[in-house]
Formats: sequence, C-alpha cells, structure tokens
Amino acid sequence: MPVWHDATKQWVKDGKLVLLGVTQEQHPERCRLFAQWKQFEWPILRDPINVLQSMSVPIIVALDEHGIVRSIRANPKTFEADFLNKSFADDATNKLERLTPNYPPKFDALKADAEKTKSAAAWRQYGDALALWGEEKQLPFAIAAYREAAKAKPDDGAAWFRLGVCLRRRSETQAREADDFRAAVETWGTALELDPNQYIWRRRIQQYGPRLDKPYPFYDWVAEAEAAIRKRGETPVVLPVRPDGAEIAQPTKAFAVQKDVPKNPDPLGKITRDKSSVSCEVAVVPAVVKPGQSARIHLTFRLAPTTTDHWNNEAESLRVWIDPPDGIVTSQQLVEAEKQKVATSKEGRTVGFEIQVPKDVSGAIRIPVYALYHTCDDAQGQCRFLRLDVTVQFMVK
Amino acid sequence: MSRSQFFPVALALCALGSSSLEAAPPAVGERHLDFTLADISTNKPASLSDFRGKKVLLIQFASW
Repeated sequence: MPVWHDATKQWVKDGKLVLLGVTQEQHPERCRLFAQWKQFEWPILRDPINVLQSMSVPIIVALDEHGIVRSIRANPKTFEADFLNKSFADDATNKLERLTPNYPPKFDALKADAEKTKSAAAWRQYGDALALWGEEKQLPFAIAAYREAAKAKPDDGAAWFRLGVCLRRRSETQAREADDFRAAVETWGTALELDPNQYIWRRRIQQYGPRLDKPYPFYDWVAEAEAAIRKRGETPVVLPVRPDGAEIAQPTKAFAVQKDVPKNPDPLGKITRDKSSVSCEVAVVPAVVKPGQSARIHLTFRLAPTTTDHWNNEAESLRVWIDPPDGIVTSQQLVEAEKQKVATSKEGRTVGFEIQVPKDVSGAIRIPVYALYHTCDDAQGQCRFLRLDVTVQFMVK
Repeated sequence: MSRSQFFPVALALCALGSSSLEAAPPAVGERHLDFTLADISTNKPASLSDFRGKKVLLIQFASW
C-alpha cells in the first residue's frame, strides 16, 4: 500500500482522487497502528468478516465518478494517463446493488425474517448485521445466527468463516466461553475445506498456525511501528489484543527443534495438583492435522472466575512440560510463559509450541502436558506452587 | 447458490431495508456493488456510494 499512498498523495491533495481502504483483518486497531506508522491519511473501513467476499488481498480497483470499475490492479505509472485524466460515461448496464446490510441495521426485522424463512441467506444477513454493527454483548446472537446459517446450508463457507471470526472475537472478551478459540479454528477449517482457494480464510488460520505453514510473520512489524511513532513524538494506537506467539513468529522451511534437552521439572509427579483455581484451554491449529504436517498448540491458562487467587509474578514464570508420544516431534519440551513486570496479576496466559506428525501416522493423537505455576490467595495471603495436567488431543487424517 | 437464484431472497430482504448478494469479483465496466462499513478511526459508517461523483481508488488490504 505504501506505493499507492506515495504515488497518489498529490492527486488526493488536489482533489482529483479519493483513496478508500478496506482492511480484511480481525483486529482493526492493528490496521490503525499500521496506518499511523505509514501516515495514511485516507479513510479505512473494517471488514473483519470478509463481507466483501474478497478472495485475497491486496485488491486495488479504480472506480470512476459513476462508481464504475475502470481498472483492477492498476499500474501506478500509467494510472494518471489511463484513468485520472480521462472522462468516463455512465455506461454500466448493471444496477447499483448492496453487498452489506443497510445502516442503521434493523436487527429485530432481520431476526424475524430469518426465523420466518429459515433460509441460510437470511440467517447470514442477520449475523452480518450483528457482526458488523452489534455491540460486544451481541456476539452470542451473531454466533447463533451463523450457526443457523451453516445448519441450513452446510456448504455455506462464508457462514462458517464468519462464525469462526465471531467465536475468536468472543474468546478475546470477558464473556468468552470455554473452547471458543478451538471452535473458531475448527470452523475456519470447515470453511477452507469448502473453498481451498479462499486466501482470506486461509490467512486467518495461518495467522495462528505453525511456522512451516506461514507465508509471512503477520504482525512482527508492531514493535518497529510503535518505536517509529514514538520517535516522531506521537503516541501509538493502543492494541487491546496484542499480537504475540504465533502471530509474530517467523516462517520457516524446516521444522525447528530446541537443541538443548531440558530437565523434566516434576518427573515423579510430586507437585500438588491444582483442582480448582486454574483451567487450561487448548487450541490446535489447524484443527485437523494431515500426516507429515506440523501444527501449533496454544495453551491458555486462566484463573477461575470464582477464585480469589492471583498469579505470583515474583516467583518463576508458568512453565509447561510436554511429553510427546513416540513419533511426534515437538519444537520444545519445556515452554515458559512471558515474565510479567508487575508483582501480581490475573490475566490469561498463553504459551505455544509446535509439533510435527510423521507421514505414516493417522487417527487420534494425545499429548500429555503439565503446567507448573505460582499463585497466591488474595484473601488468605497463602501462596502455592501447583501443577495442572492437561491432555492435548487432535485428529490426524 | 448462483447469483440469479439468489435474487428472490435478496428482493425479499430489500423490503426489510437490507439486502444480500453473492458477490462476483468486480469486473471492468460494471458498477461496483455498494457497501457500508465502519471507519477504523472514527467507528462511523461510510459507504462506497458516499464518494459518488469522485474518482476512487478502492484498496482492499491487510496490515500483515
């Protein structure tokens, strides 16, 4: 985009051209940060559910003053002569039609229509309105609407993809339900199976997937952008969901394994088991692994909402020991969560590692792992060192 | 569902003040489908048709 941004600056200033961006990503704040870094001054709209049904990005379309497409993949060098300095007649034969729900959305009417017609299109339309314009508390309704759409038309890839987007969004809120992220990855996988050429859907999985499957590192530019913005004396856009782990991992061409073999921190299982204060959500990306393929395992540890415990960050970080069955290779056997700067906290903690499956393996795989962590009780002041056993399960086929 | 099969449903939804289309990729010489989405900075709605009368370079992208 910077090429077009630079090439068109003067035309925009002279009022000869409008630049209009649409970002095809889940987290619009990240695009805001990118735009701030690159000093884009043109409007950018967000399309987290790919309601524009783009197959890939970037797509650059030149529209004349009548809204008629005059070029796709325009050439910046010939743009002025071929498009900007030309006059066009209003000669399109198709009518102006809408791709998105009208604004402001009529949620009740859309819901009533979906319930009446029971059609996938109507349920998807209701889901779209909620996903694009609803509040965070309406996410469950969007999820339910897309589920109805997918039930009515199981080959509706867009409904599956958008369902996954809403599940992932909910997983990043306080209203999350257990396994929202795992379910999101599963539904994105269903969508992609229906249309393997849909690169917007494919990228959403790759964003959280293993390094071998990454076309690029996705959000590794964030720290550089923030530093550059601060250097200009500005305050960078705050990211409510900061990319880390898989989202900033560099692609690789060979499965990388940690060279130093670490020591099993609790080989005899003597550490006291945690029965209630912490739970672990597991997401395997992709949800179904092909023989010979690699996958990224996301483990998110959360303090139970009912507990009065907090993480004790003055002690060592949460660690995860992985004990893979024969044949399964792991990138690491001991993974440590990022060290926190504050003494106590209550946030969810995600650690990730990658696995590679042999070419001759299929069926259900179970990988036992356990986490060790320090918590303290807010009320009693009692601190504990605990162990939580978790089984990572996924299908290879 | 093909685009032509979809039209009756789309027309029905138009009556509710909404519509839905299976989008074909934009073709040169065709009027671009209109859409309304939220601006990432202001959160306010903006439509492609708001820019009618001006030449527009529509850029779909992602920051990755």
